[in-house]
Amino acid sequence: MVKPADNLLEVRDIHTFIGQFHILQGVTVQVPKGSITTLLGRNGAGKTTTLKSILGITPPRQGQVILDGEEIQGRRTYEIASLGIGFVPDYRAVFRDLSVEENLRIAERKPGDLARHQDFIFGLFPDLKRLIKLRGQQLSGGQQQMLAIARALVADNRLLLIDEPSEGLAPVLVEQMMEAIQRLSEETTVILVEQNFAVASQLAKYYVIIEEGRSVQGGLMADLLKDRETIQRYLGAA
Amino acid sequence: MDIAINTLRRNRTQAITLTALVVFFLVAMQGMETQDWVITMLRGLAVAAVTFLVASGFSLIFGLMDVLNLAHGTLFMIGAYIGWTVYVRPDTAVDITPPIALIAAGLVLLPACEYLLAKMRLSHTILRLLPWVALILGLLLLFVGLPRFPITAWDPMVYDKSPVVYSVQLDTGRLILPEPVQVDANSLAVGIAGALLGGGLIALSLAAFARRTRAVAKTRFPRMAVGVALVLMILGLVINASSAALTQLLMDVGTTWRFFVAVIVATFAGAGLGALMEVSLIRPLYARPIYQLMLTLGLGVIGREVIIAIFGRSQTSMPKPALFNGTGPGCPAQNIGDWLANQCSTISFMGSRIRTYNEIFVILVGVIVLIVVWLLLQRSRIGMVIRAGVQDREMVEALGTNVRRVFTVVFALGVGLAALGGVLAGPFMGVSDSMGESLLLSALIALALGGLTSFPGAAAGSLLVGLLQQFIVKYGQIGIQLPFLAEPFKPTPPLVPASTLLLMVIILLVMPQGLFGRKE
Repeated sequence: MVKPADNLLEVRDIHTFIGQFHILQGVTVQVPKGSITTLLGRNGAGKTTTLKSILGITPPRQGQVILDGEEIQGRRTYEIASLGIGFVPDYRAVFRDLSVEENLRIAERKPGDLARHQDFIFGLFPDLKRLIKLRGQQLSGGQQQMLAIARALVADNRLLLIDEPSEGLAPVLVEQMMEAIQRLSEETTVILVEQNFAVASQLAKYYVIIEEGRSVQGGLMADLLKDRETIQRYLGAA
Repeated sequence: MDIAINTLRRNRTQAITLTALVVFFLVAMQGMETQDWVITMLRGLAVAAVTFLVASGFSLIFGLMDVLNLAHGTLFMIGAYIGWTVYVRPDTAVDITPPIALIAAGLVLLPACEYLLAKMRLSHTILRLLPWVALILGLLLLFVGLPRFPITAWDPMVYDKSPVVYSVQLDTGRLILPEPVQVDANSLAVGIAGALLGGGLIALSLAAFARRTRAVAKTRFPRMAVGVALVLMILGLVINASSAALTQLLMDVGTTWRFFVAVIVATFAGAGLGALMEVSLIRPLYARPIYQLMLTLGLGVIGREVIIAIFGRSQTSMPKPALFNGTGPGCPAQNIGDWLANQCSTISFMGSRIRTYNEIFVILVGVIVLIVVWLLLQRSRIGMVIRAGVQDREMVEALGTNVRRVFTVVFALGVGLAALGGVLAGPFMGVSDSMGESLLLSALIALALGGLTSFPGAAAGSLLVGLLQQFIVKYGQIGIQLPFLAEPFKPTPPLVPASTLLLMVIILLVMPQGLFGRKE
C-alpha cells in the first residue's frame, strides 16, 4: 500500500447508499496529520454522511477509507472507533440517563483512560468538573456539547470527527467551543463539519467542499479565503 | 423552564396515581379481616414477583434491541419444564447434559469459524454453497449422533411412565427411577463425535451466512471461545462418564437442595437458550421488525409443541421441596425460626396460615432479583452500556463498544430471568404447556402500566397487576360492599384478567407512557 507520509486519513472516492438513495457519489478527502480539516458545503450535501461512512455507521459500498496506511472500510463501527477515532455527532447524543461521569467513563476503551486524560479534559472544560454528578438530561445545550466533545477525548484517539459543534449555541459559547477545538487540535487531528463559515475558516487549515454528494474542491483554507467566487458559488457566504 | 414544568407535571400524575392506589388498598383493608388482607397482599406480591421476572426480561430486551420477544411466555414455560426435569427426574437431566454440552462446545466455536473464514480467500461459488452444505451436514450428524446417547426418560404416552406419575411418586416420597439405558461404547463414540462435529458445522454455517452479508474484518484469534469450547467438551465427557454417580448424588441430597440445583440449572439453561436464539435467529433480522415479530411468535408456538411432544399434554405438578412441605409435629410454625427448624409448609398468622413457599420464598426471590438486576444496571460497566444503548445504540458503538455482544448478553439475561420465573412458578402454579401464555399477557399489561422500557416500571406494573388480581380473587370469595348495592358484589373469576386490563386502560388514558415511561 502506498502511504503518503503526512496523511493520517484518506477517503478515496467513496460511494454510500442510505436505503435506495445514493447519498455519496464520489467523495475524496485527505486529512493531513496534526491539523484541522473542515468539510464545507450546503445542508444535505453529504458532510455528515461522510463522517458516518468513515466510521462505518453508514458503510460505503465503493471506495476506500485508509487510516494510517490501513484500509478500514467494511469493518464494524466499534472496531473502527477502537483504532482511535472519536466521534462528536451533530445531535450531541449525550446519554440522558447517565451521569456526566458515566457519560465519560462509557467512552473508556481500557481501564484508566479517563484517569489519564481527565486533567486535559477538565482543563478544556472546567465546567464539567462541577457538573460531574448531574445526569445528562439535566445539562443545558452548551454543556451537552462540551460533554460530547469531552467524551471523544477520553480514549486515546488520533482522529476526532466533530459535526456542527456551534449549532444552536449562543455566540459566547461558540467562542469557547472554538477555543477548545483549537487547543485540542494541537494534540490530535480533527475533521470538522461546520455550517458557520466564519467559524470554520478561522479554525481549519485545510478544507474540502462537498456538493451534492461529491467532493468538488479541496486545499489550503488560506487559498480558499482569497477565492471569493468559489465561496460564493458553493457556500453562499460572502 | 419547560422541562421543569413537565417534570413536575409528570411527577404529579405519578404522585396522584400512587396515592389513589394506596387509598384503594387501605379501603380494601376496611372490607376484610386484617389477616385476610395481609395474606391477600402476600399472594399478590407472589404473583407480582413471577410476573416481574417475565416482564423485566421482556422489557430489557425490548428496551435495548427493540425486539418484542413474543416467545417470552414459552421460554418461561420451558424454564419450568427444565426445572421439573432436574427436580423430578435427575437421571434424565444428567443423561441429556452431555449431548447438549457437546453441541454447545461446537456452537461456541462460532467466533473461531468467523476468524477462519475471514482469513481464507474463498471463491464466490464456495461462499454461496458453504453455509448450506455445512448446515445440512451438521444437522445430519446431529440426527445420526443424538439418538446414540443413552437417555433414560419418561414416556408421556404410557400412563405408568408419564411425567404426572413421577410427580406423584416424588410427592408421596416414593420416587423410583427406572433402570438406566445401556449403550455400547462404539455407538456412544459415534454419538459424541456426531454432537461435537454437528455443533461445529452449524457454527461454521452461521459464520458463513454472516460472511456473505458483510465485508470481513481482521480480528484477533478468539482464544476465549476455544477455551470455553474445550471446557464444555470436557464437562460433557465427564458427566457422560459419571452419570450414575451424579444421579445418585442428586437423589441423595434431598428435595430442597435438588430444587435449588433445578432453579440454577433452569436459569442458566434459559440464558443459554436465549443467547443461542439471539445469535442464530434474531441477529439477522434486526433491520426487519415485522419478520422478527413473526419469528418470535412462531418460535413460541414451536416451543410449545416441542414441549407437548416431549412431556405430553396433561398438566403436571411440581411437588414442593421438603423445606416448604412439612406438616408434621411443630407445624404450622409459629415463627420463621420454627419453620426453618421443622420445615413447615405454613406459618400461622392471626388464626390464618401463610404458605412458606408461595407467600414467602417466591416474594423473597423476586425482591433479590430486583435488587441484583438493579445493581447490575446501575453499578456495572455492562449496565451502563445497556442504559446508554436503550437511548442510542449507534453512539455506544461509535465509542468503541461491541454492542452486538451486549445484545447477546441482554437476551441471555432476559430469557434467563423468564426461565427462573418458570421454575419458581412450578410448585405453586403447576407445570403445563399453557402456563406461559397467561403470564406473558399479565407481563405485557404490567409493562404497559409501568412503561415499556423502564426497569422500575416493570416492577411497579407487576406489583399492580399481581395485587389487583389477588384482591379481585379474594373479593370473589367474600364479596365486597359497594355503594348503591343491597347485596355484596362478588366478582366472578373472568373478572380477574378483565380488571387488570381495565386498570391498564385507565392508566394509559391518563398517562399514555405508563407510570415510569419516557415521552418519545
